[in-house]
Amino acid sequence: MAARQDDGVLTVGRSRIGTIFANTGGVLFALVMIFPVYWVLNTAFKPRDEVMSFEPYFLPAHPTLDNFVSAIKAENFLSGLVNGLIITGLAVAAALVVGFLAALAIARFNFYGRRAIIMIILCVQLVPLLALLIPLFLMLQGWELTNSLIGVALVYLVLLLPYTVWTLRGFIAGIPKELDEAAMIDGCTRPQVFWRIILPLTGPGLVATAVYGFIQAWNEFIIINTLNSPAKQNLMAWLLQNQTERGTAWGPLMAGAIITSLPVVIFFLLIQRNIATGLTAGAVKG
Amino acid sequence: MTAVDSPTTRPQAAGGVTVQKPAAQRPSRRRRHDALVPWLLTLPTLLVLALLLGRPLYRMIVLSFQNMRLRELLTGVAPPWVGFEQYQKALTDSTFWGVVGRTAAFTVVSVTVSVLAGLAVALLMRRVHRRVRLAMMIAMMFVWALPQLVAAQAFVWLTDSDFGVLNYLIDKIPGVDYANHSWFVNPWQGWTLITVLVVWAGIPFLAISLSAGLTQVPKELLEAATVDGATAWQALRNITLPILKPLLTIVTTLSVIWNFGLFTQVWVFRSGHPEPYFQTLATYSYTQAFGQSRYSYGSAIAVITVLLMLGVMVFYIRQMFKIGEVD
Repeated sequence: MAARQDDGVLTVGRSRIGTIFANTGGVLFALVMIFPVYWVLNTAFKPRDEVMSFEPYFLPAHPTLDNFVSAIKAENFLSGLVNGLIITGLAVAAALVVGFLAALAIARFNFYGRRAIIMIILCVQLVPLLALLIPLFLMLQGWELTNSLIGVALVYLVLLLPYTVWTLRGFIAGIPKELDEAAMIDGCTRPQVFWRIILPLTGPGLVATAVYGFIQAWNEFIIINTLNSPAKQNLMAWLLQNQTERGTAWGPLMAGAIITSLPVVIFFLLIQRNIATGLTAGAVKG
Repeated sequence: MTAVDSPTTRPQAAGGVTVQKPAAQRPSRRRRHDALVPWLLTLPTLLVLALLLGRPLYRMIVLSFQNMRLRELLTGVAPPWVGFEQYQKALTDSTFWGVVGRTAAFTVVSVTVSVLAGLAVALLMRRVHRRVRLAMMIAMMFVWALPQLVAAQAFVWLTDSDFGVLNYLIDKIPGVDYANHSWFVNPWQGWTLITVLVVWAGIPFLAISLSAGLTQVPKELLEAATVDGATAWQALRNITLPILKPLLTIVTTLSVIWNFGLFTQVWVFRSGHPEPYFQTLATYSYTQAFGQSRYSYGSAIAVITVLLMLGVMVFYIRQMFKIGEVD
């Protein structure tokens, strides 16, 4: 009883049968939710005849890594991996540098136009980039940046920037202003305050934001699929291509899906505590 | 368990000591200089947004008043100005209205189901054993972490007509023949599947956010209400929901914005060629532009889409200001 209360779970007026029902429901929910994820894993380790079976194998009878080998050996896999890393790296680095400065201004300065800038950042976050794809495509074509990694990286920069500014603003605002002021009384200049206090203390926030940006950019495939030819695409677009071209080779496709989502899933699980912050922060008082 | 903790709301050390603002004593030259600093800092962001977001936005609007086709794209000839012709074409086309109605209906249904399911799961998480709650969290985290494309492909495979495990399981129900059943012949069935996928993928964000919000409901209040004879439903309606309302509003608004822009799930389920009755505003605009080379018509549809969503966006932003997150 006492241990139960420590969980913050209400104990008054709760029947035993109700609790059993709730626990059963919870377990069932977890199983149903995870099942598609399990099925991806299960399929990826099955040989072809077990994938293409009218009586599905709920566990691989003869587990194999063949599907992973054939995914890696498939056309454009390696280029997709390298392209994805380059594009994501460029976009995340640019978004962090550019976004950090703006976040600093919004979090630390009280200036005329600040509210307007916040409004712009919030609005921009909601604009569906897909709606802008037509003019973006035409603009990049005008600059001869279609079918190039730089062009996609530029589009991804816009995709990441609003969120980056918004999240970093939160992290910087979390550092007590008194710290800046104390340092300035001790003779620090503004740039010194930035380098010695704000930047080191925002470190974890920068990492979390970078990781979230990586996830966003890594997962994108519609824009890159529209702007670039298969050799200049990332792994997500490669995966989409694989589905439409070899629709029935589910084993290799699921293996490819695992390889493609592995970095994202790992990163996501590492920073999951921060993910929802930028969207609902303030509504949840910690 | 606080799944969502906000770095912005960390309690600030309230020392009671008032720090004298050194700025008050500084010479005015420094202050004038200070006024410029924030603008210099935001300048790069504003430039990027203007160039890569403001400009395309402007060009999208211009494009929607022109008639840009493949010929203009290839030759670089300026497309002819046609005024409101594209809009007129869309607004008098029953296909377009079908797309609008379908997108709106899907948004209403999927958001209602997702939010209710998310709330139910969040409430359930408060009642279950610690280990069960952990299992629920882990399952949801994996679903949330899965890229949209991969999740959609997983569902395509699960519902495959010949070897899909879903048909196999349904077929097991006595008297039901679902062997080789194709889910996308009947639009209602296809849309049910798309909705299930969207709800499944949306539950983690909703349930975890809402369950973090539920920790803010004072336990004493609920206990007092129970002691006074309130039923569970009354306690939920009169205590929990009012406290949860601001958060509920935000997550619902976000879900509306996301689901209204439905693209990936349809695109993947229909292998990049959605039939007319599976088109949403996002896929319709895209296929018109990049499939049919009707760039102007696609732009006009995109403009209408953004206008339709504007009300929801304004609401979201007002809500963010109201909650005080933006200060």
